[in-house]
Amino acid sequence: MPADVWAVTLAVGARTHSSTKSGRVERVSGIQDPTRGRMAGQERRIDDTILIREAQRGNRAAFEELVRHYDQPVLRLALHLTGTEHDAQDVYQDAFLKAYKNIGSFRFECSFYTWIYRIVTNLCLDHLRRKTVRKEDAPVAKDASGGEYDLLDQVPDVRAGANPERDLMRRQLGARISGALEKLTPRERMVFELKHYHGLKLRTVGEILHTTEETAKNTLFRATQKLRGQLADMR
Amino acid sequence: MKCEWVRENITLHVYGELADDARHELEQHMARCADCAAALQAEREFHALLSQEQVAEPAPSLLTASRMRLQEALETAEQGGFWQRLALDPANWLRQVRFSPALASAILILGFAGGVGTSYKLVVHQPQTSSPSVAASPAEASITGIRSITQEPGTNQIDIKYDTVSTLETQGSMNDQRIQQLLLFAARNNYNSGVRMDSVDLLTQKPDVSQVREALVYALRYDTNPGVRLKALDGLGGFVKDDVRVRDVVLEALVNDSNPGVRTEALRLIEPVKADGSVRGVLMALAAKDQSTYIKSQARTMLAGLPEID
Repeated sequence: MPADVWAVTLAVGARTHSSTKSGRVERVSGIQDPTRGRMAGQERRIDDTILIREAQRGNRAAFEELVRHYDQPVLRLALHLTGTEHDAQDVYQDAFLKAYKNIGSFRFECSFYTWIYRIVTNLCLDHLRRKTVRKEDAPVAKDASGGEYDLLDQVPDVRAGANPERDLMRRQLGARISGALEKLTPRERMVFELKHYHGLKLRTVGEILHTTEETAKNTLFRATQKLRGQLADMR
Repeated sequence: MKCEWVRENITLHVYGELADDARHELEQHMARCADCAAALQAEREFHALLSQEQVAEPAPSLLTASRMRLQEALETAEQGGFWQRLALDPANWLRQVRFSPALASAILILGFAGGVGTSYKLVVHQPQTSSPSVAASPAEASITGIRSITQEPGTNQIDIKYDTVSTLETQGSMNDQRIQQLLLFAARNNYNSGVRMDSVDLLTQKPDVSQVREALVYALRYDTNPGVRLKALDGLGGFVKDDVRVRDVVLEALVNDSNPGVRTEALRLIEPVKADGSVRGVLMALAAKDQSTYIKSQARTMLAGLPEID
């Protein structure tokens, strides 16, 4: 539970650092303040900075808290890119372990968001490349327990009176799109994924992939052209 | 052209990635061009089609399981320490040094500390362990001599003053004072004749400077290498007429130099001043009894061209 973790972090902070720092930690640790809403983004950043510094000093509780700030979108990205819960869990695990081991070399030259996404996208790209080399022809996705896995099963159908026919059509459409996405190169897939499904700015995508915004734009253009060609009959 | 540009940028427009001015231009064009407007509509429909494939949020159970697995792994994982960081990312470490003036200065000062004229204080804790290796360890190769060894009365402190040499490098043009000084030093003192040759060769570019001329005169008189003497002679050649000292030293070389090449060159150089009394005297002596037949005959020829003196 995050609040408990914070209590640990606070104790460590108060013991080893100045009172002003522990005061800041206290401020972001959940005490109600009506003016907080406006500055939520900024505070989150301060919050992260403190957590990163604590994690760099070897405070594992702080790192675990940091993980909680980012792990949901990371798992979501890994799940969509790898297609299986098992692989997604591996990417998640490898990414955060790598981050933990190397957090000492994080120098605040980019945001932690960009840094962690760099690690994750690199691992995902490796996964996609291996997959391309193996030439796996649209395998049946398996979940952690070995059962058949369908991404669309993960979407709760909250519409009233959902009918099976439309559901089937959605599944077919999903399968076609997934097939088309798999035909992209790993890098095209990654740019498209980050832009289209995760809504990142191309500037950020460029930073994450160690390239320019312009290159990211060109890659996105190429990816959409290919997808259009693949899905031409569906329009 | 315009339509082509629009088609290339429609995708970025749909994704909201066009710059404001480009977006304005594109929208203006859409209002006028039906084809491009249709293309934009098609792009939006395609975008909507792709968006029907939704990215599912990971199931809470999956997220929890992932977190627990990570927590377990973190218990045994170790963070990279300072040395690992240094080994993994030396560029980053160097960057830090570059941007830390205090650290950079400290390293510089430390470097100087090992340089010339270091006063080295050796604390003798136990007489039997005060081995010479301690004194010799820091820069044995660079120690040129021990100046003094003193022991402060009543203490076990020994004060040793010693000199060291270290190789330094400097760069600059011939007009640079420091460079000139080093060249002058090299011309007189270096044991390596190649270095003396190079320095004298460079100094001949600046014979106007009196110190340089002095060094060339020194080289012509005392340098053991005939090549260096020849170079110095070349540098002095222009001053035979105006500088009596130079004339004398050239005559000296003409009479006494052990190398025939140097003598021949000296003879050639004094040609313009052969009418001078001292030169004429030397020429007459050479013409009468020089060992070298070439010098003897040349001296005679030069004398023959001179008007008779009463």
